[in-house]
Formats: sequence, C-alpha cells, structure tokens
Amino acid sequence: MNRLLIDIGSTYFKIAEQGKIEQYFRNFDKSILNDLESKCADVISSYNKDDVYICSSANGGLSTLIIGLSNSFSLKYAVNIAFNSGINIIDTVLYNNISNETPPKDNIDVVIIVGGINSVDNIFDEKIFEYLNNVNYQNIVFVGTEKSHNYLQNNIKDIVLLENIISDKLQIREDELKSYLTDLYQADIMGKEDIKQLYALTNNQIFSTPYIVNRALPKIHEHIDVADPFIVVDIGGATTDIHYSRDLVNDNILSSSGYDRLVFKKLGVYKSRESLVHIAKQNEFVFELLEHLNVTENILEEKSDEATRVLMQLSIFLVLYKVSKHHASYIELNLEILNNIILTGGITQVLTQEDVDNITLFFYKKILHFHHTPKIILDKNYEIWTYR
Amino acid sequence: MKVVTGVVGNDIHVVANRLIDISLAERGFEVFNLGVNTYLEEFLDAVIETDADVLLISSLNGEAEGWCRDLQILKSQYNFRDNVIFMIGGNLVVGETTAEEIVPRFKSYGFDLVFHQVDLNEGLDQLELFLKASK
Repeated sequence: MNRLLIDIGSTYFKIAEQGKIEQYFRNFDKSILNDLESKCADVISSYNKDDVYICSSANGGLSTLIIGLSNSFSLKYAVNIAFNSGINIIDTVLYNNISNETPPKDNIDVVIIVGGINSVDNIFDEKIFEYLNNVNYQNIVFVGTEKSHNYLQNNIKDIVLLENIISDKLQIREDELKSYLTDLYQADIMGKEDIKQLYALTNNQIFSTPYIVNRALPKIHEHIDVADPFIVVDIGGATTDIHYSRDLVNDNILSSSGYDRLVFKKLGVYKSRESLVHIAKQNEFVFELLEHLNVTENILEEKSDEATRVLMQLSIFLVLYKVSKHHASYIELNLEILNNIILTGGITQVLTQEDVDNITLFFYKKILHFHHTPKIILDKNYEIWTYR
Repeated sequence: MKVVTGVVGNDIHVVANRLIDISLAERGFEVFNLGVNTYLEEFLDAVIETDADVLLISSLNGEAEGWCRDLQILKSQYNFRDNVIFMIGGNLVVGETTAEEIVPRFKSYGFDLVFHQVDLNEGLDQLELFLKASK
C-alpha cells in the first residue's frame, strides 16, 4: 500500500513517497496548507486522505513545567516521558526547594506534578498552591501518589489526575501520561489554524515529529547500516533534538522503546540563530574551535553561507558537549562507547562529510581525549523520517 | 516497615544484594531494592519517594567510604522525617582496619548502624533490636 508521508518543519517541509524524498523551503508568506498545495498539488491529490500521514514540529510544540519530589525518580521519570512525547521542558522544580524557586515567566501549556509511590501520604502542602498562584498555565496534571488525589483535587482547579508514573517498585510507568501529553499536543494543533488546516489533506492524526522519530528508531537498522549504541542528532532551524540508545545512559529507567529523546529548544541555525551564537560565546572551547576551522569570532556576527556552515559545525560541537560528562545537565551520555552518530535535519543539506568528520574529531580529541571517532552518517535524504 | 536497599557506588555484588533483599522480605519488611551501582543521592531520593523507615546500604568491594562520606551533608538538603534509620554493612574498607576504627568513622558520616564484616543475619537482628528500642 502506498503512503504519502509529510513532515512540516520550522524551515523546510519534506514529502516522502515510495522511498523518494523531496524537500521544499517554506514560504512564510503563505499558510502551510497553501504552501504545500502550491508546491506539490499533483502528488498530494494522487493520494487518498487515508494514505496521507503528517507530522509537524512547526507549531513550536507544547511547553511544560515539572514539579517533583526527587531528582532520581519523580523528576527524572516525568522529564523522560515529556521529552519522549515531544514536549519542551521549560523548567523543573524540586518540591523541597519550591519556596525558594522563582516561577517561570513563560506561558506554560501543562504543569506536571509528581511524587511518591501510591502508599505515601501527606507529601504536598500549601507551598505548592502558593507557587502555582504565580505560574501562568493552561493545563495541570498530577501523576504521583493516589493518596494525594483528594487533597490536590480540592485545592487546584481543573487538575487532571492520572495513574502514578512511579510504580510500587519504583519503576517508570509511562503509558497514561504519554497518552495525555500526546492528546494535549493534538488539542494544541487544533487550536493552531495553520496546522489544523492540514486535516484537509489527511484522515490520520497529526503527531509531533519527535514523537514519530522516537517510535521509528527501533527500525533504523532496516534502512541504515548502524550499530548500537548510536545517537541521532537532528539539528534544525529552530531546535536540536538528540535521540539516543538507552545503552548510553547509566540510570534507573527502563522504558519500552529503548530510545530516549532530549531537545535543546534554543539551538537552531535559522530561527534560533541568535541564541546559538550566545551559547557558543559562553563555551570555553569555542575560540579554539574557531581557530581550528581557520575563522575568527567575527564570523559569528555574519550572515553569509560560510557563517551558516561554521554555525552548523559549532552546533554539532555544542550538542555533543552538552551531553558529555563535562557538562552537568539532565542527561550524560557515555560518548566513549558510541558506534555511530546519525546527523539529520537542515544541517545535512549544507555540511559535507569532511566538515562533520572534522568537527567530531575535534570534539573527541579535545573533550574526550580520544583519537578516533564514531562513524558519522549524514542522512542527506532524510531517510530516517520515512520508516513505517 | 519499609526498607530501601542496594549496593553503593561502583560495586556490582549482585548476589549479596539479592540475599539481603530475600532476608529482609523473610523478616516481613517491605523491600525497595535499587540493585547494584547505586549513587548515594538515589538512595536518599528513594527514601523520600517511598517514605521508608530504613535505608540499608551494602558494599563489598571496600570502597564504601568514598561513596558515603557525604551522607551528613546530603541529609541536610532533604526533608526526612525524624526517625529514618541509616544503616550500612558489608566489607566497608580494604586493608587491615578494624571495626573499632571503622564504626565511629561511618557514624560520623551520618549512619546510625554500621556493620563491617558482620554476618548478614546478625546485622539484621541488630537492626530489629534497634527498631524495637527506638519505638
């Protein structure tokens, strides 16, 4: 059965049919639907609406604030589920410190509260209500101990109560929260005219792109010659996503797909260019890296093709740096045992194999003190987006 | 009564960990076993998430001190209820050091009960006596 697969990105959209992929730079003067129809009306009209599948990262995705009882369980599990559902995390708050935390100024699509196995009572008190009074949010969900259901329901308007994501054996239970967040994404799409119009083309649900990639990764071996453990780095116009084998992480989460996702919301080479430059300038190794590339820091202020190429190389370095053991953040990947890095997204249309090999070798030599690198695969044809 | 247990740091003595799990369950404890290779922060987080009565850390490779000496500092960052018991046992250090030297040292790190090269059942008997006495 033939299917038409469409991915709407912040900068490009891609269309895949029968293993053949076409990509188009978006015309921001038109709605996405008009843009799609003007560029590929013949292809789209040749498919039944049941055979058209669309995913999108162009609507920016949902944002979440997570309040949890501990770093190792509540917060870690909720962050993991949120990332794998395609949600962007604005902030995490450890409940014990909540009185000293400044609430985020951003508008939050969904607040997730979690803590305790089901037999634990009396975890939350009025501190949480005081904090939430200063948070601007649309939805709020509780996925912690059942014994707090009544207390929270009586004090927080419209709170949604779901199954505890922490099992009685302290393991992760992701299904209910994942479905809730995916449905919320769907509701968000329906509230955004530009994406909602795309239902004129398909009878299938439109999912977030990172969610689809996460689901597709277990099948990657059928299409590309990769060896576990590997990472997929999608450096796009607005954000950078990393999808990684769980073998690269030493933690206590057992999730069903075996692959997790991490997103750097302000690391992109077009829409997030300014924040990428800002992050680059903060990094202690960047000037050495620029010297290695035979350019000066002035290149960061330019808008030339050469500057874009350098920024893309920088973004590869920064992404690897942010998940290495030299940078304390949500996740630390064991990059020393990595076999493959698959690069996809807009970056593959600009950089050559030599460019990416060069920057990766610099990272491995400089940061990890290794003299060899994992094999880099440039997914120039966006093949990983077309699995089913 | 709830007990969080596991093997601390880079220690992978999984058989000992399993024996502790079984022995605790046999004595009627509700056991939360974090397994081997567990960091101190993870132990404390598990105590908070389960509202456990006892934290029982085990270590056999003699490197417990390096992984546990910050217990007192970490405890001050958590909001534990008053009567949580912090216990450690196994082969806690390498070399010729005696229990007389080791026990006070680990108690100064924040442990209530310390057992160096003591039989598992004897250690658990002592835990039960301690629990009875602290009621």
